[in-house]
Amino acid sequence: MKVSFFETGRYVSPRGTPREWPVPSGAYDPALGAKAYSAMIDRIRLVEELGFDWVSLSEHHYSPRILTPSPPLSAAWIAAQVKRIKIALLGPIVPQSNPVRLAEELGMLDTMAGGRLIVGLLRGTTNEYLTYDLNPKEARERADEGMELILKAWTEPQPFGWQGRYFQFRTVSVWPRPLQQPYPPTYALGISRESCELAARNHLGLGVSYGPFEVMAKSTRYYREQCAEHGWEPGPDHIIYRANMLLAETDEKAEAIFKKHSGMAPFPVRAGLRDALLEADKRNVAGEARPANVGGVLPTTFIGGPDTIVEQIKRCREEVGAGVLDLSLHPPGSTDVDALMSAIELFGKKVLPRIHEV
Amino acid sequence: MAQSFREGFVEADGFRIRYMEAGEGPALVHLHGAGGLRLTPAHNLLARQFRVIAFEMPGFGKSAENTRTKSMPEMAATMAAAADKLGLDRFDLMGTSFGGKTALWLALQQPERVLAVVLEAPAAIRQKGARPSSGTPEERARQLYAHPERMPALPAPDPTVQAKQQALVRRLAGPDRDPELETQLRNLAAPTLVLFGTYDRLIAPEMGHFYKELIPNCHLVFVYDAGHAIGAERPEAFVEVVADFLERHEAFIISRTETVINP
Repeated sequence: MKVSFFETGRYVSPRGTPREWPVPSGAYDPALGAKAYSAMIDRIRLVEELGFDWVSLSEHHYSPRILTPSPPLSAAWIAAQVKRIKIALLGPIVPQSNPVRLAEELGMLDTMAGGRLIVGLLRGTTNEYLTYDLNPKEARERADEGMELILKAWTEPQPFGWQGRYFQFRTVSVWPRPLQQPYPPTYALGISRESCELAARNHLGLGVSYGPFEVMAKSTRYYREQCAEHGWEPGPDHIIYRANMLLAETDEKAEAIFKKHSGMAPFPVRAGLRDALLEADKRNVAGEARPANVGGVLPTTFIGGPDTIVEQIKRCREEVGAGVLDLSLHPPGSTDVDALMSAIELFGKKVLPRIHEV
Repeated sequence: MAQSFREGFVEADGFRIRYMEAGEGPALVHLHGAGGLRLTPAHNLLARQFRVIAFEMPGFGKSAENTRTKSMPEMAATMAAAADKLGLDRFDLMGTSFGGKTALWLALQQPERVLAVVLEAPAAIRQKGARPSSGTPEERARQLYAHPERMPALPAPDPTVQAKQQALVRRLAGPDRDPELETQLRNLAAPTLVLFGTYDRLIAPEMGHFYKELIPNCHLVFVYDAGHAIGAERPEAFVEVVADFLERHEAFIISRTETVINP
């Protein structure tokens, strides 16, 4: 099992900071922001030292909780300062990006980082579409098309035009190309039928997140079936599972911390807006309809002391088939950075050495 | 509003050649693929801006079996004679799949007459083992389209027509890589647009870059989410770029799309 540390550029909000998304930017403290970015580097140096395989980054907007609206900038910041760990962008929100620009920036990043880039291409969570005025009903199709265009931009040797449904370019010829040829390890991120099919068709990995094992297993099973249809078999490294983990010295302590924080939504969204977004953005798990998560609580999959956690990780490997675990080690909703640093240390010392063989 | 195509016949090079014609404007000659002449929604859209003449090459469809034409350059010369008979002095030329190779030969033979060339999923350069579509209408639909379920059913083929067309195609198609043609393409003067659907299951879209490498003034466009029959499957996307290219040639890469939201 490979392990990835999900780095969120944690901004430590003073008590009383509004929580509802979008969080008023007048509440932002520039000094705390500067601190968040330097702490990011300290944490990544630590996880590299402890033997984590990857650090992962995401794209979130208009909130202090995850202070990384631009994944390529986050990655460049890290690549220049931390020298060995692989950097996984999980990932740029493709439907609201210019895919050609992404292909260029990811090419730059992989080259600057000495071929350490991992790419996850993401459709994105529903509230994020509000950032750049994207119609949620178009997100799925824009994501699929943008992802195909990025792959084409990385592989087509001659300048080409793209006559899409949502994107049109009359001449594309991307420099630089990624250092890793033809392109970095790339994942479609999602549990929907469309994500699984896109990944299978293009021989990409699949990244699933947050749901319980049995639900995630539906997607990874469908993905593997689709890969077989396309004549290939994914290995464990082709499947990433992102989850919240609450690790403490003992099961009892972990449960106690979990109880204290459970039920806190990371991005609360007002009810009227939430309902309208749910109406506009239909989601599925491997083809079975299920509502999007808009401003809801994210489940914590792994809870316990080191022994329990190791057992849970073994089950994850067996049931989901994931070979890469992408972990958020905060108690969800908490902003306690010291607790986070202890969880990282504890994981690195008591869990990591026991799961590389899983 | 669909343009109504009318049927016509022209005597040329000893053949009686059928064609379908509609529209007004610059003349656009179309040469069909290995399955024969079949009008698609793209023909209707093109006929709003062009005088479209879609020929049926001798030996296809209801025409008599063609045992005379021995090679693609010969077929190209016959089609040039047909265009001549219709009084088409200078014209734009579009070739689909198998007809893409005919179009290339015609443009090479008559450089002063062909203003620009459009190749829809051309079969002039093919990956190893490529074959024309075959089988039942359902099987052919799966080969031709990215989304056969969204398309009207293909007509059941007439076995006699099919047999005579297949024999002709086998004789004229030439090798997957045709050194004689490829050498000449380096001298092709006409501006050329090559289009491939991103999900073409018959000719790999990756063949597109060979045309760009060979033809001096060549442009390559991928039509997203289309299969081999681009004009049938994504007619608006296909015609928009084709018409723009025929109007502006290499300047077609300069956007004229206005993006003002509110003045």
